[in-house]
Amino acid sequence: MSAENWLVNATALLSGWLRHQRWFAGKDRPVDDLHVLAATRLRADDPAVWHLLVEVSQGPQTDLYQVPLSIRPQPDDRLEHVLLGRIDEGYVYDALHDKAATADVLERFARQDAIGSLRFITEPGAALPLGEASLVLTGEQSNTSLAYGDVALLKVFRRIQPGLNPDVEIHDALTRAGCGNIAPLLGWIEGTWEDRHGRLQEASLAMLQSFLTTATDGWAFASASVRDLFAEGDLHADEVGGDFAGEAERLGEATAQVHSRLAQVLPVGTMTPDDLIDLADAMRARLKAAVVTVPELTQHAPALETAFDELAEIDTDVPTQRIHGDYHLGQVLRTVVGWKLVDFEGEPEKSLAERTALDSPIRDVAGMLRSFDYAAWHLLVADHPGDDQITYRASEWATRNRSAFCNGYARAAGRDPREDAVLLRAYETDKAIYEAVYEARNRPAWLPIPLAAAERLAEGVR
Amino acid sequence: MTFDHPIPAPGTDPQWFKRAVFYEVLVRSFKDSNGDGAGDLRGLIDKLDYLAWLGVDCLWLPPFYPSPLRDGGYDVSDYKGVLPEFGTLEDFTIFVRRAHDRGMRVVVDFVMNHTSDQHPWFQASRTDPDGPYGDFYVWADDDTGYPDARIIFVDTETSNWTFDPVRKQYFWHRFFSHQPDLNFENPAVREAIMDALRFWLDLGIDGFRLDAVPYLYEAEGTNCENLPETHGFLKSIRKMVDDEYPDTVLLCEANQWPADVVEYFGDYSVGGDECHMAFHFPVMPRIFMAVRRESRYPISEIMAQTPDIPANCQWGIFLRNHDELTLEMVTDEERDYMWAEYAKDPRMKANIGIRRRLAPLLENDTNQIELFTALLLSLPGSPVLYYGDEIGMGDNIWLGDRDGVRTPMQWTPDRNAGFSTSDPGRLTLPVVMDAVHGYQVKNVEAQLQNSSSLLHWTQRMIQIRKENPAFSLGDFTDLGGSNPSVISYVRVFGDDIVMCVNNLSRFPQPVELDLRRFEGTQPVELLGGVRFPPIGELPYLLTLAPHGFYWFRLGEALP
Repeated sequence: MSAENWLVNATALLSGWLRHQRWFAGKDRPVDDLHVLAATRLRADDPAVWHLLVEVSQGPQTDLYQVPLSIRPQPDDRLEHVLLGRIDEGYVYDALHDKAATADVLERFARQDAIGSLRFITEPGAALPLGEASLVLTGEQSNTSLAYGDVALLKVFRRIQPGLNPDVEIHDALTRAGCGNIAPLLGWIEGTWEDRHGRLQEASLAMLQSFLTTATDGWAFASASVRDLFAEGDLHADEVGGDFAGEAERLGEATAQVHSRLAQVLPVGTMTPDDLIDLADAMRARLKAAVVTVPELTQHAPALETAFDELAEIDTDVPTQRIHGDYHLGQVLRTVVGWKLVDFEGEPEKSLAERTALDSPIRDVAGMLRSFDYAAWHLLVADHPGDDQITYRASEWATRNRSAFCNGYARAAGRDPREDAVLLRAYETDKAIYEAVYEARNRPAWLPIPLAAAERLAEGVR
Repeated sequence: MTFDHPIPAPGTDPQWFKRAVFYEVLVRSFKDSNGDGAGDLRGLIDKLDYLAWLGVDCLWLPPFYPSPLRDGGYDVSDYKGVLPEFGTLEDFTIFVRRAHDRGMRVVVDFVMNHTSDQHPWFQASRTDPDGPYGDFYVWADDDTGYPDARIIFVDTETSNWTFDPVRKQYFWHRFFSHQPDLNFENPAVREAIMDALRFWLDLGIDGFRLDAVPYLYEAEGTNCENLPETHGFLKSIRKMVDDEYPDTVLLCEANQWPADVVEYFGDYSVGGDECHMAFHFPVMPRIFMAVRRESRYPISEIMAQTPDIPANCQWGIFLRNHDELTLEMVTDEERDYMWAEYAKDPRMKANIGIRRRLAPLLENDTNQIELFTALLLSLPGSPVLYYGDEIGMGDNIWLGDRDGVRTPMQWTPDRNAGFSTSDPGRLTLPVVMDAVHGYQVKNVEAQLQNSSSLLHWTQRMIQIRKENPAFSLGDFTDLGGSNPSVISYVRVFGDDIVMCVNNLSRFPQPVELDLRRFEGTQPVELLGGVRFPPIGELPYLLTLAPHGFYWFRLGEALP
């Protein structure tokens, strides 16, 4: 088939289809312009497979997306749910769901292939499950992940930002350092293309890592413990069988181990007192904006601000390093050999520079402590609203597990994060304010969770 | 090879132990044939038909030797006799023959690390240091030797050395001070032990459970456990039984971490040349912890940490036995791990202080008893049942701590639970009489009449296990899955594939399993033969009742 013809036809299908994809950032706005910056033919026919990098303009916003397509002369019922539409050349599908299209990806890794705009890079000594078929995992938001057998996981980034993806960068560094608390990196795919101004650009397009087969994610595990607690009439969090504190403590240890490894193998720095003043200002500004969206915060705002005042008064340097950046119970997996940290991409909506910036590891600790709070309270708002006795026990669960996490962290790090009380409170407060805004906009039923946290933080109770 | 028939006759299957269901039976507490208040071998013979019906393949008899009985018979005073109250050597010979007639094997406990201080060898050794038995035990002029060996019974013993006022020297003992350790450096001791082993093998038994094997030899600068000389002697026993008594099994009791226990299987390259079997100690407490925590990780972790074993070897696993398997009885390393990991809760420690039987530990909850039994019968290893647990027998915590779980077997609702016709006051241990577990509610006769009883259920489960060789011989793969409260695994032996899914939680649970490698097969539930929906590419969804479980066969491919 002629590349030109089908490209025009397929592009016409793309703009409508993209807006319905979970990973598409601009679902609420029309697509003004759509431009294919790179097209690589990965397979000639049956099905034909093309790898596209597509620039989408929506008003002033321009985003780059990765869209592999497969084109089949006959429709395939099993792919009906990922059909873009029909063009003269055949039926166009999202190729990541098409096993015939994804079958040779591992072979390309094995021979470190370079084709068109794609380059396959393999970690030294990586064992690849050649010949395994792929399956798209459900439940992902911003990427598309494929499991090859139960051995390898290919995470295909959908929205592409130029530069080395921090997920690849950190996994690569930690894998080479032999860090045991991650899923080791097997390889990644680099993409190069010319942007509309003719400049050569480069980015990470996908990441291949070991698949943690027997894992449970931390959020599901912690929720099981909280459910167990609520099902008991009157037992305390430390008395029920489903007590999570042992797990929380081991998670604290694993977190500290990863932080210390990151500080060894990637750059470190410091925040000066001046930097901290700037940080405090930024946090104050977020609080100010949040009060507009969430008026319930108003009564606590003056007390919350004291957290940022104290931050601005720190008169020593604060050590910084690469951190996880978007750390919560959903980013950790319990395996039969302990906890593993996953997904080092940082907060997806931030710029690459922000996501790779050095920061205090206390930010991650604060993120996880907030997550324990969510785990304790989310069933409460859903199943037991207004039940004082259960409310009391939920906060007991959160306190117990937050403290166990810090104990484990302290043991492995040699320093208790609670000793950095000012920093911890400032990060936690900032996070709770962010959550309040997010819940008010997206999940009003859960707004009481960050509001209760704001109240506690305002009282200085941690 | 068919598996729903009795284990083949002696001499026809050297690996019979790999798929045998073991049953630990205390002669004293099983059946009294002469009305003297204590169980005996003739009583046991009378009950062999019951055991054969239950599906037992091999009986394990704890020590029945002459003994002052200060350690439940593990203090042997004659290696070649039978405790008179249990019967005679002739009774024993008849028992072995009758068991064999029913396709059942017999394994007896053998305590070679130490004897009773009443053993004639010790009496001779202390009175005549220069005589033939002078060097049979480990003697020293002071108590400073082997300082790195830990004291095992910390609650009763303060040293591994005890002064003997007769010989005026110290003797070495790893257990009680009335149990002097034999001196295996002495060739005459090794020969005497070999001689005693041959004595029982000549009577037709099928193997030994070797008690306390890690401690046979001592050496300065070591902790005196698992020494190379100890392994060397066990290998020589193995060679003797292989040469002279093929089909004999050696089951070692080494209460150690699995990575250390595998040493007792011997050389991998020849399929194992030391013990055929070893108990997998950590599995039992892990099952209790997993159900208590409603988390699969205690079990999944220990399975992940269990090394492969040589081709001709097998684990022995159990839920309960005649000992309390408390945290005091496991290795320091394991105990520290347990406490640090899982026993932060003081109630937990009380619950794991397992001087109780299965049913009372589980508060007589039928669902949990069945779940535990299903795990025992499906995890890797040959299951060892403890007498009475098949009817959910209770215990008597008011008896001395070792006797609480050794009360008479409850056969009928009649006097003395049908165990003995003696005056009730004459029973060596009283029968359990409480309202929940007492013999009037729980007894074999009543449960035989009730087809939905625990006894019938257990019998049926054993039968299903035997119909599917994967349970006994298959590889083990943990399936993981989305739900931390559900443990799922497949056992694969050739084309026999079974999948076990167990809900460790008190609540109903869903689980999604990645079964892509079995795509296109149809799970068949093993208790009822019900066909479940075929396995496709997407995660396979199952819902489980509280403490519920499924056993499936996956062999059947769809047309």
